[in-house]
Amino acid sequence: MSADYNDSDVILRVEGLKKAFGDHVVLENINTTVKKGEVIAIIGPSGCGKSTFLRSLNLLETPTEGHIYFHGTDITDKNVNINQLREKIGMVFQHFNLFPNMTVKKNIMLAPVQLKLMSESEAEKRAVELLERVGLAEKANAYPDMLSGGQKQRVAIARAMAMNPDVMLFDEPTSALDPEMVGEVLNIMKELAESGMTMIIVTHEMGFAREVANRCMFFADTKIMEENNPKELFENPQTPRLKDFLSKVL
Amino acid sequence: MRKYVIAALCCLLSLFALAGCKSSVPENTVFSVDDLSGKKIGVQLGTTGDTLVSEYEEDGSGTVVERYNKGNDAIQALKQGKVDAVVIDIQPAKAFTEANSDLTILEEEFVNEDYALCISKSRPELKASINEAIRALKENGTLDNILKNYIGEDAGKTPYVTPEGTEHSNGTLVMATNAYFKPYEYYEGGEIVGIDVDMATAIADYLGMNLKIEDMEFDSIITAVQSGKADFGAAGMTVTPERLKNIDFSDTYTTSQQVIVVRDNDAIGANSNIIEKFKNDFLTDNRYEFLLTGLRNTIIIAVCAALMGILIGFFVAVIRSTHDKTGGLTIANFICNIYLTVIRGTPTMVQLLIIYYIIFGSVDINKLAVAILAFGINSGAYVAEIFRSGIMSIDNGQFEAARSLGLTYKKTFIYVILPQAFKNVLPALANEFIVLLKETSISGYIGLTDLTRGGDIIRSNTYDAMLPLFVVALIYLVLVVILSALVKKLERRLRSNERRL
Repeated sequence: MSADYNDSDVILRVEGLKKAFGDHVVLENINTTVKKGEVIAIIGPSGCGKSTFLRSLNLLETPTEGHIYFHGTDITDKNVNINQLREKIGMVFQHFNLFPNMTVKKNIMLAPVQLKLMSESEAEKRAVELLERVGLAEKANAYPDMLSGGQKQRVAIARAMAMNPDVMLFDEPTSALDPEMVGEVLNIMKELAESGMTMIIVTHEMGFAREVANRCMFFADTKIMEENNPKELFENPQTPRLKDFLSKVL
Repeated sequence: MRKYVIAALCCLLSLFALAGCKSSVPENTVFSVDDLSGKKIGVQLGTTGDTLVSEYEEDGSGTVVERYNKGNDAIQALKQGKVDAVVIDIQPAKAFTEANSDLTILEEEFVNEDYALCISKSRPELKASINEAIRALKENGTLDNILKNYIGEDAGKTPYVTPEGTEHSNGTLVMATNAYFKPYEYYEGGEIVGIDVDMATAIADYLGMNLKIEDMEFDSIITAVQSGKADFGAAGMTVTPERLKNIDFSDTYTTSQQVIVVRDNDAIGANSNIIEKFKNDFLTDNRYEFLLTGLRNTIIIAVCAALMGILIGFFVAVIRSTHDKTGGLTIANFICNIYLTVIRGTPTMVQLLIIYYIIFGSVDINKLAVAILAFGINSGAYVAEIFRSGIMSIDNGQFEAARSLGLTYKKTFIYVILPQAFKNVLPALANEFIVLLKETSISGYIGLTDLTRGGDIIRSNTYDAMLPLFVVALIYLVLVVILSALVKKLERRLRSNERRL
């Protein structure tokens, strides 16, 4: 084991991660660590495996090879209680995935109450707090189908935060939104980053990545092609692959 | 909603009207046995008449034999001109012609035959004791008195009464019959009565046993006796070489003739009006009670089977979709697949008969329970697939979102997937229950008085097909309309959840 294994600042450590769907290899030999308070932006062309990487971190995808340590516990170990670990890894999806059969408030309360982390009234209080924080206090009793895309995504962020996660994964959180709604979601995420939340964000919003992230990963050809602070990465790309990519998106 | 009910009632009423104006039936063309060749002949399925007439079918003259489940149905067909003649036992023929003045019996009889009781080949000792009883009843005149009580001028004067001091300490004798065969066995005031019934009672008394009567389709009687569901069959049954292959017969207890019933060209259309018919069909002898009993049984079967179906369907669907999503539960999934294939691949009626005659062959079991079990197991297969399609229709993102919050697979199912799936499948589920309700109409095949059979019993008593069938249809229609309305209400309530502010 390496020296930083016991470093309490390390939240996630990925070692030799490989993911293949049948014969098709999506990720190969990925190694990285995520420290507390880091905001990591993952960019790259579509199909490069960045979403798969993110989804591997809470085992929505089962890695083909390699290990992922969360607070030092190998989550790829079959004997690990993955449900317990997932409680501390929040996730926000591209398509929000709110539960349409319950109100906004109940969406947020479901997991804390069902997992017996909070009482009904505590969870309700927390839900109202979080809704205020994302600016949707008046929508507490609305059903998801009555909200706009941007509002839905803000609720989804609140829902993930209700579990007080140690790290939050964002899987293209603004890709399914109308352009005028992107801003409201990014603002919430920015506030979250400023509050010290550890975040890993798969995104196509280069401006946001550059402004908010303190580390940027460029995924291409099954691996992390380049990794640097955003300023360097965007202004001084080292590989032709990244240069080509940036010329297309910027 | 009310609009539809009214529209449906209008349709039904116009059907009534249509049925009322009878189209003219063709003139009779059969005047002797020789005329039968080349005609359409109606018989009751599996009777001696059936066997004998079937020979005409092969003589190349174009004879067509129509086989009906009940003699009564054959007579109805004759009245409507669907067949040219009906070959049937003389006693029921007399009863039919008495009730239908437009029919007559040809004087020339078709064939003479002997009636006997059928007994399983594996029970020679039972056959010996029944034969002994028949011999004794013939000698002391009891049998003659029973026959006289139903046939001839002195009918009703010499009813059979159990001799005083008879003890019934030797158990129960179960008789299988088809109570649509006046005067041998038929319903009167809710009870099965007739020559065969009295004679069987006399035999049971002689043997010191209680008699229990099981009413079923005629062609099920031999199966019932073979399988042990009944000890013997008594239904005006003739000994034929064909039947002897499968079953044994007692000594003959009476002789009868097969006769030819035809339309009477001279008869004046003496159809009583619809109010008379209604009174006769439903009010005389409280005949409406057959419908009430039937309705009660139909509802009991449908409701209990539906609940059982939901229970089975739910578990099968959860197992199957868990397998689909996670790849686990391989063995359980395999068993479920076999269940679905077998149940959906075979007719409900065959399943019902198999459960009653084979699985519970020699067990004395409540018929309602058998019907509920059969229809419940059947419905479960369809409900399972409905539920499964509902579960699979929920976006995988719902699963992922719930799991990413740390909820277990089970809790995800209970709180997120199932409530949404249930709402999606409600219309399909309602449809399945409507099908199930109507499917229970085959319960008559195991001799259970459901709504349809209740109407059939009335038909066999009054020889009027129209009103009982229409009323039965109307009751089913009302049940389905009520059910649909309830489901619609529930659906609206579930949907309103998501829209209201």
